[in-house]
Formats: sequence, structure tokens, C-alpha cells
Amino acid sequence: MGKVIVVTSGKGGVGKTTSTANLGTALALLGKSVVVVDADVGLRNLDIVMGLESRIVYTSMDVIEKQCELAKALVRDRRVDGLMLLAASQKNNKDDIQPEQMKAICDKLRTTHDFVLVDSPAGIERGFSNASAGADEAIVVTTPDVSAIRDADRIIGLLQNAQIEPINLVLNRFSAQLVGNGSMMDQADVLDILNIDLIGVVPEDSGVITSTNRGIPLVYEDASPGAQAYMRIARRLTGQRIPIPDLEDKGLFSNIVKWFTRNR
Amino acid sequence: MANPIVTLRAYRDGLHLIIKPRLSIAEVEEAIQQEIARMNRPLVGTSVQIVLKSPVLEEEEISLLRSKLQEDYDLTVRGIDVVDDESVSPPIAAAPTTHAISQTTDVRAPRNSELSRIIPHTIRSGQTEEFPQGSLIIYGDVNSGSEVKAGGDIVVLGTLRGNAYAGMNGRLSAVIIAMDFAPLQLQIGNYTSRSPASQESRGYPEIARIGAEDVIIVEKFVKF
Repeated sequence: MGKVIVVTSGKGGVGKTTSTANLGTALALLGKSVVVVDADVGLRNLDIVMGLESRIVYTSMDVIEKQCELAKALVRDRRVDGLMLLAASQKNNKDDIQPEQMKAICDKLRTTHDFVLVDSPAGIERGFSNASAGADEAIVVTTPDVSAIRDADRIIGLLQNAQIEPINLVLNRFSAQLVGNGSMMDQADVLDILNIDLIGVVPEDSGVITSTNRGIPLVYEDASPGAQAYMRIARRLTGQRIPIPDLEDKGLFSNIVKWFTRNR
Repeated sequence: MANPIVTLRAYRDGLHLIIKPRLSIAEVEEAIQQEIARMNRPLVGTSVQIVLKSPVLEEEEISLLRSKLQEDYDLTVRGIDVVDDESVSPPIAAAPTTHAISQTTDVRAPRNSELSRIIPHTIRSGQTEEFPQGSLIIYGDVNSGSEVKAGGDIVVLGTLRGNAYAGMNGRLSAVIIAMDFAPLQLQIGNYTSRSPASQESRGYPEIARIGAEDVIIVEKFVKF
């Protein structure tokens, strides 16, 4: 029986879809069978980030309306074994799907796959409740800025009310340089506010933009720091214990600057 | 202060109406009217402690004053103290930074009669905890975008980053205590305060209460 994990954030643009695509691909590269589900009905993006947009014939809406079998709606990613995409309908909107219908799809997918990653839309409305309806676990993606963190906090509260456990945090777009000169919150500050388990820190990586535009998830670029971070998170999701490397700049100068700004 | 006959001051157990001696009841009434008119906030529903300096007003003058305060200003008289001229303690803002509330006075009485509720977790953005019957104790943080409201005190055994509203039934002696104090807005009774933007944690517990100048003061919390 596979796990259903919802990838969510509250705020838009923090990297939910990028994280879903990369973690899904990384898990498949580790030999797991994975389905990534786009729950952003009406504003689908996951297919583009994964480079599968030209191959979508059926969507989750067609499955719900019984236009096709679930297995037939899954698009196989040919670059790696065991990776499938279930796309969202682009012509409907979020209210056309009921949470129970999404839960039924997730329950069916978990019988045939190790991991079902659901890419949640931004917001706390119907799209979010649809995406989290069938989830056992959650990954909350946030960037180290106050507005993303407040929204993540809100989402964590809603996930806890829905008894989704565990809730793991991915800290995205982390810049050691900006933390070093005191203009970005560090890992400890973020965890102090959100108070959930950190599953990974993804450094700011301009490679994400190119990879999104080309439709090739970053994890295929072995040398990229972002790819390595996503691979580590995927290993942790499979139960391996891998320490989170300290991405903060440990240069003497920045430490002195930090010491002064902290004690001001 | 501005009014020599009657002074209305906030102490930690609530409002005190301090009346100078050797005056006629008519003078006192007029002074009370001026003093209350001077306040820029309504006092409706709150209670006051009358502090008289000797020689005291006649017994019937006091009962007249009590009914007048109730009828004209909707102020409940909590009790009457008679003090010597010198023994009037300074109001909160002028007091030293440690305010140990004496156990022997009845200052704690209203607090003791209240209920308390423990919230055993962090309160996250968008969540609200409300307890008009008494005080709230939070085992965790109160995060930005959340709200805690209590009839009595609010004690946060973590970081206060959201909005806190103590004394929501009008008890002005209510306090807000947090291990780390970085709130967006504070409210005690009908007094509000907004923290300066980008308030950094000071690394020690702090307490907010109403000071003498009708403002919420925040200072280092030492002990109750």
C-alpha cells in the first residue's frame, strides 16, 4: 500500500509544482513507482514542468465523469521507469470536483504505486481541500520570507485539523549569502515559527528556471545543488536517514557580521 | 495631575478615583465630571476604587457619590479606601521595573475568582482562541496572523507574534505575559497598542499592562 503525500504551501509561487515534479522524478530514479497528481484544476502546470504537456489525452475530470479508466488517464514519463502523471483538467474549475472524488482517486492509486504526490493549488479553499482529501502525509513548501511563512503556518493549522500526519517542511530558495549578510531568515528562525519537522533545504538555484522552461526536472542535472537537495529529500521520504547539510555560509567574516546583527 | 481635586489613575488592580480632602461634595462632583470628560475613552462598564484622604467625606455623601457614579457614568464602585496623604503609592508607570504584587492585599481577588483554560499547542495563523470566562495559558507560540482573547490574563509560554486581547470584559488589571514578546497588536480592556514594525525579540519574558498615562506599557517580567 503506497503513501499519498500532498505538496502544499498556502502561498503561490514558492515552489510546490517544482518540488512535486522533482521529488516525483527523484523517487522514480530511486526505483519507486510514483504517480504525481496535479490538483490545480483550471490552472494546471505540473505537466509543463515535467515536459509532458503534449501527451495528455485524459485528465482526472474525465476519470471522475467516467469517460475513461483511471489507468488510461495516467501519462507515463518515458525518461524514467515507474513515473506517471495524472493531469488536471484545464477547462473546468476547482468546484467541479468534490473532495470525496479526489480521495477515491488517491485511494485507488495507492494500491498500485509506492508514492502518490498530489500537487496542491495555492490558497486554502476548495482546491486545497480537494488536494488534501486523500492525503496521509503532507509536505509544506515555504521560502524564507515572512509572507510565505505566515501562509505556511495557516496551512499547517488546517492540515493538523484534518489530522494529516506527519507534516514535513521543505525550505525552498534558501540563499546562504543572504542569510550571511543578515537579510534573510535562517533555518532556525523558520523552524522556530513553524515548529514542524524539516525534511530538506533547497538552495536558490537559477537552474530551476531553465529546467522548468525546458520541461526537464532539475534532478536530472546531477551537479546542480538544487537537484542534490531534492535527491536527498526523496531519500528521506523513502525512510533513509540522511543529515541535512548546513547550507549557511560559514566564512569568518559573515559569522562576525551575523554575531553583531543578532546581538544588536 | 491636571486636576487637583479628583484624580483618576490606573493601578494594577484597576482604576482608582483619588479624592482630595476638605472639599464639599459639590466641588467633588464637578471635579469628577471634568476628570471623566477629559478622558478620551469611554469608561462604561468598568469599576473604580474610591481613594479618600482624611478627613473623609460624610457617610451619606459617599453613598450619594456611589449612586451618582453608577447612574451618570455607568461606573461601579469596587470599594472605598481611606488613606493618609503620604501613603498613596505611585501609579504603575512611575514604579520601579519589578512589580511584585503583594499577596496580603486583595489585589488578586478578581484574578482568583476567574477560570483558566490551558491551550496545549501552538496557535497558528488564522486560528483564534477565545475565553471570556477567564485567563488563557498557551503551551506554545501564538503565531503571526492568529488571535487570542481572554476575559482575564493571557500567558504565552512561547513567543507571542499575533494579536492578544486581555481583559475583554473590561478588567483593566488584566495583563499579557509572554516568554518572547513580538506581538502585532495588544489590547487590554479598551486600550490598544501596536508594536513598532520589526520588533526584535529581547530574549527575556515581558509583561504588558495598563500604565498610569492611559497607555499599555511593556516591560521585563520578573515575577507576579
